[in-house]
Amino acid sequence: MVDLALKTLLFDRLRFFITVSGVAFAVTLVFVQAGLFAGILGNASVTVRNLDAELWITPKNTANVDFANTFPESYLDRVRSVPGVARADNLIVYFMFMTLPSGARESVEVYAMENFRRWGFPWHVLEGDLDDLKRGPYIFMDNSATRRFGPFAVGDYREVQDTRLEIVGRTADALSFTTTPLVFMDYGQAQRMNADMLKGRTSYVVVKLAAGADPGQVRAEIHRRLPYNDVFTRAEWGDRSEAYWIESTGIGLNMYLTVFLGVLVGVVVVTQTLYTSTMEHLREYGTVKAIGGGNADIYRIIGKQAVIAAVLGYAIGAAMAWGVGALVEKSGLHMALTPTMLAVVFAGALALCLAAALVSFRKVAHIDPAMVFRG
Amino acid sequence: MNVLETENITKTFQEGSESVEVLKGISLSVARGEVVALEGRSGSGKTTFLSIAGCILTPSGGRLAIAGQAMDMGNARELASARRRSIGFVFQQFNLFPALTARENVEFALNMKGRKDASARREAEAMLDRVGLADRREFLPRDLSGGQKQRVAIARALAGGPPLILADEPTANLDSHVGEQILGLFRELAKRDNRGLMIVTHDAKVRAIADRVAHIEDGRILTGDG
Repeated sequence: MVDLALKTLLFDRLRFFITVSGVAFAVTLVFVQAGLFAGILGNASVTVRNLDAELWITPKNTANVDFANTFPESYLDRVRSVPGVARADNLIVYFMFMTLPSGARESVEVYAMENFRRWGFPWHVLEGDLDDLKRGPYIFMDNSATRRFGPFAVGDYREVQDTRLEIVGRTADALSFTTTPLVFMDYGQAQRMNADMLKGRTSYVVVKLAAGADPGQVRAEIHRRLPYNDVFTRAEWGDRSEAYWIESTGIGLNMYLTVFLGVLVGVVVVTQTLYTSTMEHLREYGTVKAIGGGNADIYRIIGKQAVIAAVLGYAIGAAMAWGVGALVEKSGLHMALTPTMLAVVFAGALALCLAAALVSFRKVAHIDPAMVFRG
Repeated sequence: MNVLETENITKTFQEGSESVEVLKGISLSVARGEVVALEGRSGSGKTTFLSIAGCILTPSGGRLAIAGQAMDMGNARELASARRRSIGFVFQQFNLFPALTARENVEFALNMKGRKDASARREAEAMLDRVGLADRREFLPRDLSGGQKQRVAIARALAGGPPLILADEPTANLDSHVGEQILGLFRELAKRDNRGLMIVTHDAKVRAIADRVAHIEDGRILTGDG
């Protein structure tokens, strides 16, 4: 069977190139923007989602994981006695100052616990033994600090809050939305370094549930015992931390606006090229009707051209986005291209190309086949 | 048996607030194996009549039968079916698909008639052989001369074996010599395959190959009725 749609599309290569480029550009724009957004937003909750705790007990009305107030650490005992709690520990998240070898002062975000290992946290250790943190003035520092603080190695020393600490380990992927590098240290060490603010106090209590425990019941009981705290599930707390940045900054609006503009560019380019192509081929479509074809046959031809443009444009756009992603990674940012995002953008590209074809459908529906007799 | 029968066909176009009666009761028939030339000046209504005879345009009144079947002119599906089944068209401007080769142009017409298997390709090739384009099958229209393009158009019109061929000024864009060749080919194919052929023209050469000449003026047939 002769494929008039494909042959006509390939016959005018320049127009075909423009159509596919329009889709590819729109797809790249959407992927890059949405991927960067997802990547950056993921940093806002990456620690929450990777610490092996089902419940997080937070100070009342805490907006996100980075900006916690403190509460008495003795609340931990009340939590540990709740039926259904397998284990619970205090967790300090606190901003401190680090003095660099250059003399500059920078912020670091400190995560402090008594026993990191049993919480599987940090989850990606490149170098060092987490148990060493208990043994003195030691820290683990995430690799992402290199970009801001310069190269560092295990065995190096850094001053944090005027206390000299040895770097005994390196982690990866432990990030914060604020881009402040993460440092891990012993719970008691963190309290000693900021005694005014942290002595006898904690930022969070994290809870691991016993097997078979009902999270709803455990949560309700914790809340009954600690009425001046909030209790979140891991998913809720992660979502809340992400939502804070979407709502309190322009990042969400910026992302939606760029995605909208990308889609708009794609729709306009594809609509325009398909419509111009339809107008230029009106006599041919009239001929299709004259030799017995109907509107449905012509819709199929134009629809197929739209689908070909969508599929090809999507493939090229996705490849370009992947390339941009690789470049972006080098600059320390993460672009997240999830399977869901790939599927949604593919469906979107198809939908926008078919929507663009609708404009041509309207024109074709009114073709007078008698036009084929006109000179 | 008549492959085309029209009876008292009228057509009125609305132009603004005015009604223009283009056809004023045309009755004309074409029998199998007959070549009819329909002559007339520009604006006489011959192309309008051709459009109605080809089930492309709906008349304002009258009766039309194609291959013995009376047409319901209000039924677009039936008209399209008649075009697919019973009518082959040859146009003044050739109207070939520029992106398709000669063979594909003919094969596509067969596809539109519902023939989508390998036999469509074989028939397309056979048709091109019959019009003398065996060595030009895989040429695009842009690489063919005017006469060759018209031969492809004739092959396309003949493909699928429609009993009625309607041709609109088929020699208008051809030089005199090529035009004569094309007309000769038309007659030969119509006679050999026993098809009815109506050629709308104002080219005097068509008279030479026609069995009958009908003259249309101001929307009426002056000579050659029936």
